[in-house]
Amino acid sequence: MNSFTSRLNSLFAFTLSVMAALTFCCFLTTVFNDHIRPVELNVAKVLVKNVPDYSADRERSDLGLITFDLSTDILLELISLTKVEHLQPIFNWNVKQLFLYLTAEYKTSEHALNQVVLWDKIVERGDNTILDLKNAHTKYYFWDFGNGLKGNSNVTLTLSWNVIPNAGTLPKVQGSGSHKIVFPDQYTSGRI
Amino acid sequence: MDFDGQKRAERYFQIIIILFAVVGFIWGYITQQFSQTLYILFAGVTVSALLTLIPWSIYRRKPLQWQAVLDQASKGASQQGSANMTQLKTKKKKLKD
Repeated sequence: MNSFTSRLNSLFAFTLSVMAALTFCCFLTTVFNDHIRPVELNVAKVLVKNVPDYSADRERSDLGLITFDLSTDILLELISLTKVEHLQPIFNWNVKQLFLYLTAEYKTSEHALNQVVLWDKIVERGDNTILDLKNAHTKYYFWDFGNGLKGNSNVTLTLSWNVIPNAGTLPKVQGSGSHKIVFPDQYTSGRI
Repeated sequence: MDFDGQKRAERYFQIIIILFAVVGFIWGYITQQFSQTLYILFAGVTVSALLTLIPWSIYRRKPLQWQAVLDQASKGASQQGSANMTQLKTKKKKLKD
């Protein structure tokens, strides 16, 4: 502390400690948020084809073709404090962006749990947070690892999201609300 | 900067930075922007740097009170020293002879 540089050093070190403490306190203010939002999902077109999967084993596998409707206002989250539910912005000072992804989850005779990501979206802070998709196409192929989609009547669509914070944990949240897809018993052949 | 000044300078910047950090935290929580918190903190750092990095005169008010120089004693010591030196020189001469 006797010279300019030693004072600069201790000032800088102290500032860093205070910044770390502030960041931790910021995390503490958001640690109990559950980030859950209601999501409405629906499907319009549901088809299943049996085509060779050249990206994998070249065997004929089931390829699901769906279009979906998705409606949610991701901006607000449902908070239940002492039985009183109220809405709170999902984007708070400890959230930078959300990574949303649509997952199809189902069971086949060969595999007990299958999860396929069909669509995703990044919502940054300040972006439009009202999602209203109608008849949207999937972003990724809905390949089954085998032939488990034809006639499968219990494929669940859910929307989940990762909350990317400034500091703290990286929560993975599943939106409340899902949709059950019933695949047809017949393969569709040719162009659609 | 004297010792008392150093102590006070450290205390001052700690108080200023924590004060700005608390205000910034509250303001950041109200606006829900953590960047606001950090900007306010940096403002506090700048203020405290201006106030405590430079050795202002308020940090030089209590210089150390050294004991007064004892003139007589120091003179005697230096004379003894020179006497010893001459003694050494004569010894060396004797060895050479």
